[in-house]
Amino acid sequence: MGQIILGVGDYGASNRPGEEVKTFALGSCVSVVLLDPKTRTVGMVHVALPESAINKAKSVEKPGYFADTGIPALLAAMAKFGCNPKGKGMVVKLCGGANVMDTNDTFQIGKRNALSIKKVLWKYGMGAVAEDLGGNFSRTVSVSVDTGEIILNSPGRPNWKL
Amino acid sequence: MTEKIDRAVIQKVIKSVPMLSASANQLLQTTTDPDHDLREIVHIVKTDATLTARVLKVVNSAAFGLINEITSLDRAISYLGERLIVGIAIGDCASQLFDKELKGYEGEHGDLWRHDLRTAIASREVVAQSDLDISPDLAFTAGLLHDIGKALISDYLQGTAGEVLEKIENDEISDYLSAEEELIGFDHPRAGYELALTWKLPEAIAEVIRFHHTPAEAREEFQELVYAVHLGDNIAMMGGCGTGADSMRYKLDADYSRYITLQPNALASIMLTVNEEFVKLERSFAEAGDSNR
Repeated sequence: MGQIILGVGDYGASNRPGEEVKTFALGSCVSVVLLDPKTRTVGMVHVALPESAINKAKSVEKPGYFADTGIPALLAAMAKFGCNPKGKGMVVKLCGGANVMDTNDTFQIGKRNALSIKKVLWKYGMGAVAEDLGGNFSRTVSVSVDTGEIILNSPGRPNWKL
Repeated sequence: MTEKIDRAVIQKVIKSVPMLSASANQLLQTTTDPDHDLREIVHIVKTDATLTARVLKVVNSAAFGLINEITSLDRAISYLGERLIVGIAIGDCASQLFDKELKGYEGEHGDLWRHDLRTAIASREVVAQSDLDISPDLAFTAGLLHDIGKALISDYLQGTAGEVLEKIENDEISDYLSAEEELIGFDHPRAGYELALTWKLPEAIAEVIRFHHTPAEAREEFQELVYAVHLGDNIAMMGGCGTGADSMRYKLDADYSRYITLQPNALASIMLTVNEEFVKLERSFAEAGDSNR
């Protein structure tokens, strides 16, 4: 089965039957998964940080790194597969955004990532139908083009679906 | 039911791994002294042919993208900086530990090395971006060694991860550190500390290994450094680089703010730098090495 593997700050999409889009070990990072039922396209972006304002140059070089530049970049990539460029009709799922235990406000990057992503989605009129966010564990996430189903795994736990 | 272990068992495990090389040991001692200079580092590396060859391989790896090959050791060392020289030396002679597959944590082969390298970079970055009066290079080295105890106790924890996670989720155990203690009577910081004593590591590094999850218990004179690595460790785990089932299952001690001022944006910048640096260093080490790292 074909795989598209995304690193930190990468985004990618596929409409090829049998293929899956995957990213490893999301700690405080969040994976935004967009599913377009009309074109049967699956897209994912591995967001590491909430806002691109901290490093504009980086957001040009790797827009997927930040929530506010990553989602537009993913939508543009999916538009090449014939999807609506504003995300109309797409299904959204979110995974990741974990925090370390007893975290203080500063270290809640996971939570801030998720919030920032939701804000950006809201501007497009989009909202997540399913999410697996937070907690104190890292997640590996893969989504199948055929079913749009997400398989999550984390060391020491049985796999689960979203 | 897991078997309890004690100091004697850990000592036996330690005896089964190779000692640090003379040059790695000298490098650690020299770089911990605030008054050393780069010439001393060059001198130590020169006496070790294997290390010299490795340093030249790393500096000339594609990851650094140098146009002209560096053939002089002096230039290689000043280009890489002393922390990488120490990193190469330790990484080489403790490779049996760093490369160990941490089955007890359900970690994958190479996880420990990647987590340690990432912690080293993050600890250095925390020091560099705050007003701490400690050497960023020392923070790097301490970060590299902080979790070495996991390689010593991992085998004794085999088959426990699922149960530990369940207990943590149900609030029956507070974190992974307590779980290690409860299951086998020994946690990884203490195991690592035993190794630090046997290897005669500098006191500052031994203190980091012992208290990186409980920095408030470290001796006052070393607390800044211990807190810096404590944060480095957490930043590495948040970046998705843990050692398996225990990742993010430790407590953050927010009292770091007694020494380290960190605004959310500064933390985000640190995480960004750490990721970039990590990708580069991991590649350069992998290209220069013949192990699976």
